[in-house]
Amino acid sequence: MNTTNNGLATNNMISNMMRWQMTATAVAAVLALLLSGLHAFFSVCAGGFSVIVGAYIASMILKRNEGNVDPSSVLINLLKAEAVKIVVIALLLFVVFKMYAQLVPFALIAGLAAAAIFSGAALAKTDKSI
Amino acid sequence: MENLQLLAMIQAYTGVGIGLIIGLGALGACVGIGIMCASFLEGAARQPEMIPALQGKVFLLLGLIDASFIIGVGLAMMFAFANPLLSVVQQ
Repeated sequence: MNTTNNGLATNNMISNMMRWQMTATAVAAVLALLLSGLHAFFSVCAGGFSVIVGAYIASMILKRNEGNVDPSSVLINLLKAEAVKIVVIALLLFVVFKMYAQLVPFALIAGLAAAAIFSGAALAKTDKSI
Repeated sequence: MENLQLLAMIQAYTGVGIGLIIGLGALGACVGIGIMCASFLEGAARQPEMIPALQGKVFLLLGLIDASFIIGVGLAMMFAFANPLLSVVQQ
């Protein structure tokens, strides 16, 4: 199990997570479009994509120090990535709430929840990819 | 005047609610992350060769633990910027 293989495994895991998040957001958005109209569709997309963008930036920070084998620096790097993720998501949500006048708040929360919860679904395939 | 009082009361209680949502959510997420990080350090001390393999899983689980907190932040922002409870006063 060398560093390159583990790097590939982490990349697979992250792309898998993004795929699950995008699928969950898309399904929630289509449901919102059918149930409540176009503004609900855009609200779900805004909620889902704020989580996806946050997760993507966090994964970039994670990849930057991938070869590290010191547990404490790995942990600090992970916590740093998570902190940046939360700040990015909060900022994007703030911008959406401020800028989008016709926002459907419950649809936004639905998209946010779907994308956030389904990020863990990528764990199902971790044993195959490592 | 009565409407103004109602409005102030709703906003005050909403403020308390927002604080509770974010505070309790952060407390739960911090306890969960603390337990997981302790387990990661324990596993890393027992089998240092597993550190790179565990890193991705810890990242995914961090996201999962934080999901409830992120949803809480979203709900808190909804109550702060588009409070649905205020519609009672407008009627």
